[in-house]
This record gives sequence, C-alpha cells and structure tokens, in this order.
Amino acid sequence: MKVECTIDGKQHILNVNSNKPLNRILFEDIEPALMIDNCGEGNCGNCVVLLNDQAALACLIPAFKLRGAKVMTFRGYQKSRFWHDIERAYEDTGSNPCPYCYASKSLIFESLLQTVAQPGQSESEVEQLSEQTIINEISLNRCPCLNHDEIIEIFNQGAMYRRRRRVRRY
Amino acid sequence: MYEGIRSPAVHLPRTMGDLISVATRFPNAIFWGGGTYIMSRPGYYINGKAQDIIYTGRIAELKRINRTDRYLEIGSAVTFEQLLSVGRQALPPLLHKTIESSASKIVRSQMSVGGSLATKGIRFSLSAALSALQAEAEVKTCMGIRTTTRWVEVGRLYDRQGNYILKSNEFITRIRLAFDKENFSYFIRTGKPIIDPSDSVTLAFACFYNQSVITRFNMCIIFPSSLFLVPQEVDISMQGALLPLSTQQIERVVKSVTEQINSEISIDVLPIQVERAKRFIESALHELNSTSLT
Repeated sequence: MKVECTIDGKQHILNVNSNKPLNRILFEDIEPALMIDNCGEGNCGNCVVLLNDQAALACLIPAFKLRGAKVMTFRGYQKSRFWHDIERAYEDTGSNPCPYCYASKSLIFESLLQTVAQPGQSESEVEQLSEQTIINEISLNRCPCLNHDEIIEIFNQGAMYRRRRRVRRY
Repeated sequence: MYEGIRSPAVHLPRTMGDLISVATRFPNAIFWGGGTYIMSRPGYYINGKAQDIIYTGRIAELKRINRTDRYLEIGSAVTFEQLLSVGRQALPPLLHKTIESSASKIVRSQMSVGGSLATKGIRFSLSAALSALQAEAEVKTCMGIRTTTRWVEVGRLYDRQGNYILKSNEFITRIRLAFDKENFSYFIRTGKPIIDPSDSVTLAFACFYNQSVITRFNMCIIFPSSLFLVPQEVDISMQGALLPLSTQQIERVVKSVTEQINSEISIDVLPIQVERAKRFIESALHELNSTSLT
C-alpha cells in the first residue's frame, strides 16, 4: 500500500503493508533513531508521537490511518518552539526523565500542556487538570524514573511558561 | 524482513450504504474501530494472519452523538474521548466513571465504542456499564441487498461466558441510552483486562430508588475472558426492597450472585477472581446503604 504522509515536516511516500504499525515504519522504513523500540503492544508507552498534533502511541496506529497525516516524532518536536517550555521546566525543577523514556514523557507533557493553554482560549476557558489526571497520563509510560511530585512540579512549571507564551502572542 | 507477510486489503467506506455493500462482498473481513485491542495483541503484525479490514472510522453517521427527548444515541465509531466531551450533564455517572477509568486520554482518543463492545473473546468494562444501564444496541443484519435493523439490549449481545454472539453479517451501528439518571452507581475494576485478563474483575452497578424503595437494581459482573453475568433473579428480587438494606439482605445477594458465578465459570478461573467479585458486591451494597442515608 502506498501511503503519503508528512514525518517531522518532510513529505514521505511509503510503500508498506497496510496494517504495519507506525513504530515499525519509523524504525524500519524511515530512520531507526526516530523510535526507541520497545514492547510493540501498547504496554510500555515508549513510542509516543504527535499524530496531527495529538499525542498517540505509534504502536497502535496502522499504516492505513497515515494517509495525509502529519506525524511528529520527538526529534521533530525538539525543533519546535514549544519544546523550550518543557526543556526549561526540566532545568528549573532539576528533574529529568531518564534517557530511555525522555522522548515519550516529553511528548506526553506536551499533550497535557496543549489542553491547559490552547491558542485563543481566554483565562476562564482554560481547562484545569487535576493532579490525578496528570499522573495518570504520564503513567502511560511505565518507566518509574520520575516520582509523582516531580511530575506535578515539571507540569506546573511547563504550564507557566506555556501561559506566558500565550499571553505574549495574543 | 517480513517478506512472507501479506498486506491486507483495507476498505474505507464513507457512508452506511458503502459499509453494507463492502460487508456483503467481503464477509470474512474484520471490522476495525479504534484498533487498540487488535494492535496490542502479541505478534499482531508478524503472525501473518492478516485478514481484510473494514475501517468504520470514516463513516460520518457512525461518528455522531445525538440527543433526542428520551435518549442519548451514540454511534459505534465514536471514541471514548468524544463521548467524555459530551459532559457530565448528558452522560449517566456510571458511564462517565467507566470511561474515565479506561486507559489514559491518549489511548482513549483511539478506543471506539463499537470496538469495545464487539471484540471477540474478551469483555471490557464498557459492556458492563452499558448492560447495568440497560442500554440498547442497534444491530444491522446484511442479507444480500436487504438489510434489517433491530434494537437489542447490550446484555444480550453476549452469552454467560462473555462470548460475543452476533453473527458475522451483523454489526452494531448505534447505542441508545435512556436519560433517566441512576440515584446510585458503583463501578470498580481491578487488574488489567488486556494485559492479564485472568485476574481482572469488573463490577458495574446502577440502582434507582424512590423514597427509599428500590425501583431498579442492575448489576453486571465481568471476568474479561470467562464471565459476563447479569444476575437477573437478584435484580428482580431486590425491586421493592427498602433502603438501607439489612445485613441479611446483603448476605443473601452476595450468596446468590456467588452461587451463580460458581455455576457459570470454568475450572481455569482463579479463586481470587471469585473472591474479588464477592467483596466488590459487598462493598457496593454497603456504599448504597450509606448513600441512601445521606
């Protein structure tokens, strides 16, 4: 099956099996460094990517859903300005995810930050995420390198930077 | 690397007419909702048993959530996240709790209602919650050019072992939920049904009462791979009972349900599952008592 999609801003025409999972496509057909391969069954949460700007597990996305889609891996995300909010939050709090889950946890943080500070939202419309929701979302990645307090601290710091960015832009 | 693997044909119908015509022409194809369960199976891609796929996620009619005077109607391709976005006002609290406790937001945005109900060989919490809420499913049957539609209670889509009993030419298109909200709901799930179904237990319980008299008492217990129990005798016997329930009444309900579980399950079910189910029922009934007194 021929699939046309954008991966990290580059247009690709892939000739792959229609049911091939995205994590295998990234690893085998694009570039091995784009994906730390893992369980391949949706259990470890290590293959998070942004699919059309929404976080998704790459191992649960078949090739036929990629037609016309925009995929962003951690490498592509690092080139966006939004990455700096999370990077600075890591620096400020002094807590970093381990190298094994760094990419996927950062993308999960990004998906959470998108909900608290979307462009065009007024202060009253901003969704307040409970601590439990934040912990649950980050726990999608099963690596135990960050404790609950560190996760909340990183999120709050990142949200502060993201809100500042929003205020500056609008 | 995977030379022997066949690439399955993927059909992407956009209307119900297309879907029916594709389903008639390819009776062995599998319906693909969100794909979260199929793709999380060990060896999903490399086992080489690739069946043709009918992807339902592009049919606008199946992605709709409608609100009528009496019912909330949910298309079978609606994702869990979409359903949560309907809000607490429209969704029954039991359903809201069930969906919120299912996986994380990232996975929920892929899981579909139809997929969760119609997966073969395993039962998920959504079917327990919908069964306890006495929801109905619209089932379409393809018979050549002709199609028939009927509404079936969600609890009747499965046998007592939790096997999905619709035929291959039948599929779920919509779910219908009445707007009457339960006075008390209780949902609990332990274990991870997908990763280890052998020690997971789910209990969904909805109770309607009016001035301390129980009018509806609906319970559903699931062992993901071996049991789907709606204890109807208990449900009927509890109608008209006064709240709070006495210790004897609670014991009687627990005993009756446990007996039914023991008569239905096979030998390979772990005793821990039965024990958990028993404790969950006890705790649900005690909580019903405390809620009814406040």
